[in-house]
Amino acid sequence: MAQSLQNKLDHVHRLIKANPYLELLGAEAEVIEEEVIVSVFGAPHLVGNINLPALHGGVIGSLLGFAATAQVVYTNNLHASPRLVNIDIDYLRTGKPIKTFAAAKVVRQGRRVANMRAELWQAERTRTIAVARVQFLLDQ
Amino acid sequence: MSMFLKSLKELPPFGEALGMILEEQDQGAGVAVLLPGHGRVSSSDQGGIFDSGAILATIDNTAGWCIRDHEDYIEGTSMATLDLRVDFLTSAALSETLRVRAICDGFDGSLAFVRATAEVVASGVLVATGQATFMLGTPNNPANV
Repeated sequence: MAQSLQNKLDHVHRLIKANPYLELLGAEAEVIEEEVIVSVFGAPHLVGNINLPALHGGVIGSLLGFAATAQVVYTNNLHASPRLVNIDIDYLRTGKPIKTFAAAKVVRQGRRVANMRAELWQAERTRTIAVARVQFLLDQ
Repeated sequence: MSMFLKSLKELPPFGEALGMILEEQDQGAGVAVLLPGHGRVSSSDQGGIFDSGAILATIDNTAGWCIRDHEDYIEGTSMATLDLRVDFLTSAALSETLRVRAICDGFDGSLAFVRATAEVVASGVLVATGQATFMLGTPNNPANV
């Protein structure tokens, strides 16, 4: 049992290692009670607005998409990322260039489609910075 | 493209990190940004293709720029992205360069509506489409956001 959990997490970690874009973001992942929590350290190169300063909207969107991907991969024990169909992000608050977390829940998973809901936060989980609806097409 | 370029030529740090290039000689509508394929924007996990996040980030950036290029935009007005939706139509090989074009469909003092496309420069194949809404005149101060 413990071994299979580790195995599932390994797939998520391999996903990060094999993906140069996620490396650029500095993405990490951990699993707490079956929930995959992904994070980035708010490095200076992730900034979109230097005056505020604020994280780039693309960084926030990417992390939401990655959270959803990681959760689908973990839940289904997949060996490769499923195809991302679309993502719809609502930006609720400014993201500061600090440690940032995201996680996703399965809304519904059928045989071919996974509908996910992702959220992103910083210091306090209840103070949501952005949310997203994410859809994946799974391999038949 | 208009005079906005003078003040906006500087990329935000993340645009710099991804290697976005503002296409200054572009004659088409709206604003165009090039994203050449290279290691940092790839998701090698699925072979040598652009990561969807890098495409999304370029669409987000270009959408913002296209508002600041609007003839009614007053230089210095701050703005915040309310939402962004991206559909990923197909993948694109890293050997290609993508052109992201954003067009502002609606603009008043408070809101701006933008649609965007990402296509392979060489073939014109449509890779992704996006739609975004921006709020204008938001305070440029984190304490008030």
